[in-house]
Amino acid sequence: MFDKIISGGKLEKKVIEDIKTHIKTLCLATECFKNALTSSDIESTFCVADLEREADSIRREIISTIHEGAFLPFIRPNICRFIEMVDEAFDILEDAAFEFRYLNMEVYRIIEPECVKIASINTNICELLSIAFDSLITKGDLKEKNLAIRVYEKQVDDLKFDITEKLRKIEIKNFWEGKIITDFVEYLTRISDLIEDASDYLYIIEISLR
Amino acid sequence: MNTKVKEVMNTKLETIKAEASVYDAIEKLVDKRMRSLIVLPRDEKDVYGVITVRDIVFKVIAKNLDPHKIRVEEIASKPVISIDKETDLEHLIKLMEKFNIARVFVHEGKEIVGVVSLLDVMGASLIERARRV
Repeated sequence: MFDKIISGGKLEKKVIEDIKTHIKTLCLATECFKNALTSSDIESTFCVADLEREADSIRREIISTIHEGAFLPFIRPNICRFIEMVDEAFDILEDAAFEFRYLNMEVYRIIEPECVKIASINTNICELLSIAFDSLITKGDLKEKNLAIRVYEKQVDDLKFDITEKLRKIEIKNFWEGKIITDFVEYLTRISDLIEDASDYLYIIEISLR
Repeated sequence: MNTKVKEVMNTKLETIKAEASVYDAIEKLVDKRMRSLIVLPRDEKDVYGVITVRDIVFKVIAKNLDPHKIRVEEIASKPVISIDKETDLEHLIKLMEKFNIARVFVHEGKEIVGVVSLLDVMGASLIERARRV
């Protein structure tokens, strides 16, 4: 699909490589967050912020290369929008990592198995987004990748329902304790939502190139 | 498929006592938004069973029987078909086909720790297909 508009351009190739790195960095961040949750190690959540900063500079690089003239003008806003969506997932992941540091661990223990599962799904869904982007470039079956991402997202939805059920039974005595745990769950479960949106957008880009 | 049962199994399980009424089972299934309940063994010599929405519809509702008057153990399937969590998904699919069942339970020792449904199998196969670049 992309070869129609790339036509051997150096700038286009650079953007594509940078987008791949951007998604891979998100995968690394979700992986590191999963490890932090699995080991309940608060210190290891700081890697998310480091990777977010790294991804921010890659994003700026991509946008400026596009403005230098990569791709035909009609496709530029779509590519920028896709990058913004991935970036939004990064921001939410960073928020989740931040809230995790302030969680009341006693309350967290109740929902820990579900949270670890979601973190693991977030890593898998991210890898699939990377595979989906490769499919867009190599004319693979993007629709299949898209469906698999939706399967993962549904699993996160079900787990969120289980977490909510558990949390409703807990007596929260402190405003901040309640706010932090609900925010944490909200951020953790939104990542897959954003990645699903990004994957949908890849499909829209593919259709618009037909 | 190289996927293991433990990778796709659902650990959300609900149980019911063998002597409970079918109506109690219906209430629990509706409340928990589930399609099956594990029927607990009556004693150490007994084994786990399972009661599904299908059992209730075909064995009670379709026959116009009163769910308050029928006990779970009267319509439950015993023993449950279960496998080890390290088993390959392929073997699980063969079991489902052989016994014409929509869910297989997962055991760890004597304890039931999870369940895999047809929908889980389908989801896992879709993901595996998508991962093949």
